[in-house]
Amino acid sequence: MQRNQPAAYLYIAPAFTIMVLFSFVTMGISFFVSLHDWDAFRGRGEFVGAGNYVRALTDLGGPFWIAMANTALYVVMAVVGVLCTALPLAMLCRKARRGQSLFRTLYFIPSITPMVVISLTWTVLLKNWGNIVDKPATALLSIALVGIWQGAGYNMLLFLAGLSEIPDVYYDAARVDGAGPLAEFRHITLPLLRNTLIFVTIMVIIGAFQVFTQAYIMTEGGPGRSTEVLALLVFRNAFMYGGQMGFASAMAWLLFAVLFVFILIQMRVFRSRKVYDQ
Amino acid sequence: MTAPTPTAPTPRPRPRPFRWGPVLALAAMIVGAAVMVYPYAFTVGASFKTRKEFSQDRHGLIPPRFQPAERIQHARGRPSALDWEGADWPVMKNYADAITYGRIDVYMLNSFFYAVVITAVQLTVNVLAAYAFARMEFRGKGVLFSLLLATMMLPPAVLLVPQFLVVGWLGLVDSFWGVVLPGFAGAFGIFLLRQFFLNIPLSLEEAARLDGCGPMGILWRVILPLSKPVLVTLGLFTFMGAWNSFIWPLVVLSDQSYYPLTVGLSLFRDDSGGDWPRVFAASVMGSGPLLLLFLLAQRYLVGGISLSGLKGQ
Repeated sequence: MQRNQPAAYLYIAPAFTIMVLFSFVTMGISFFVSLHDWDAFRGRGEFVGAGNYVRALTDLGGPFWIAMANTALYVVMAVVGVLCTALPLAMLCRKARRGQSLFRTLYFIPSITPMVVISLTWTVLLKNWGNIVDKPATALLSIALVGIWQGAGYNMLLFLAGLSEIPDVYYDAARVDGAGPLAEFRHITLPLLRNTLIFVTIMVIIGAFQVFTQAYIMTEGGPGRSTEVLALLVFRNAFMYGGQMGFASAMAWLLFAVLFVFILIQMRVFRSRKVYDQ
Repeated sequence: MTAPTPTAPTPRPRPRPFRWGPVLALAAMIVGAAVMVYPYAFTVGASFKTRKEFSQDRHGLIPPRFQPAERIQHARGRPSALDWEGADWPVMKNYADAITYGRIDVYMLNSFFYAVVITAVQLTVNVLAAYAFARMEFRGKGVLFSLLLATMMLPPAVLLVPQFLVVGWLGLVDSFWGVVLPGFAGAFGIFLLRQFFLNIPLSLEEAARLDGCGPMGILWRVILPLSKPVLVTLGLFTFMGAWNSFIWPLVVLSDQSYYPLTVGLSLFRDDSGGDWPRVFAASVMGSGPLLLLFLLAQRYLVGGISLSGLKGQ
């Protein structure tokens, strides 16, 4: 192979132009905007420094903290829900002698359906079943249920891939030693599935922090502010509510700051996983 | 790996006790499958109901006027669901209404164009970049690749406002290109393709080079034909992502004739004044065909997920 091929830059140029423009430049712009009083129609206003951040963070009973609390609660429900459905389903699927592919297909359908369509259907289904969408106490739970229902099958596939990497020999050996299913799960499945477990958990957390569609379609953030999640709050501040883009950008960056912790963990797992695959 | 297994002395066949485990497991899986499938059955069923039927029977999967019991009642001359208002509608009336009043056909066509353009551009651009990263040497390669990977970590929710501003400065708000342009970026694809290209034996390329092929020729005649499965997988993922995307077109568009299916459905729900059967007809018509296509192609999708465990929605 040749030493240095300047032509390579031509090959990567189109991808990089788009990527740089819509990732790095936009992140820079976002930060710049967040330091200003920025109106959707009049554009750049006064420079306010950290003013927008302070406004979001110091208003303790205000929209930002309410949305943060809602989002965090949603994340917890989504993680618990997805882990408690996807992992058991994957273990059942792996055990199944026949019909595995049929069940896998059925569980997979929600992952390929637009979230908008899913949200429309579940709006009515949940109205039929005790109307939990319209009650402040259960509205967040109901959008979480929809998120879990949609994500279960996809994450089951990830678990299934992880499970298939565990050699059957271990289970056979455990059975010979007289281990029950519970002991098998605790001492073989769980430790050997550790990487996949962390990976799935982090992915679900990162995804759940950005939840938008269900909240927008099913509840519009209501009743009251009970389902106003961060992405919805950012959206509303930037594109409704008179277009306060500076304030919205500041809140988006605060969301990013929270996500960044999980992204760092994910990158570590991702790196170890890459080695694992090769 | 087939290690020689020591042959154990065959035990005497004993009658195996009946075990509940597998039965319970199967039952659990069937319950799980029912939970997954029920909403679809419900949606399809409700899309055929008349407004009266939907208000009288919100739970049933089969519209009352098609239920045998109601038919028998009707045949005996007793009052039945067949006397309700709208019972004489054409079966597909909600679907026809979804097109007439909801313009679902327009939205589907829009979605289709957006997804096709995004997929085509992403595949082209990503193949080129992935080939350079897999097979060429150039200064800054490592740093540039890390930069690419870093963009995968940027959450879309954070990019929303600035992307809108950038598209605005380019003068593309409320246009076809405004919708598709940010969708052209896709570091995941470059990563996936590079991994695949790296596994293609170099000797094939050497042979092509001896026959006088340049890098472009090698990419076109050697690499791409061998990469069909991964291209199909990536293409499907990209298409599906574009088809299902909601928040970006919602932000960038205000002219309804540009709406993709997702935003169009949301609008139709708002405009329909609680006429859910009509909304469901629009949902089924709009998402059904692609859903079937993705299901048929699920081999590639599932393969891609297990392979990389990366791309979410």
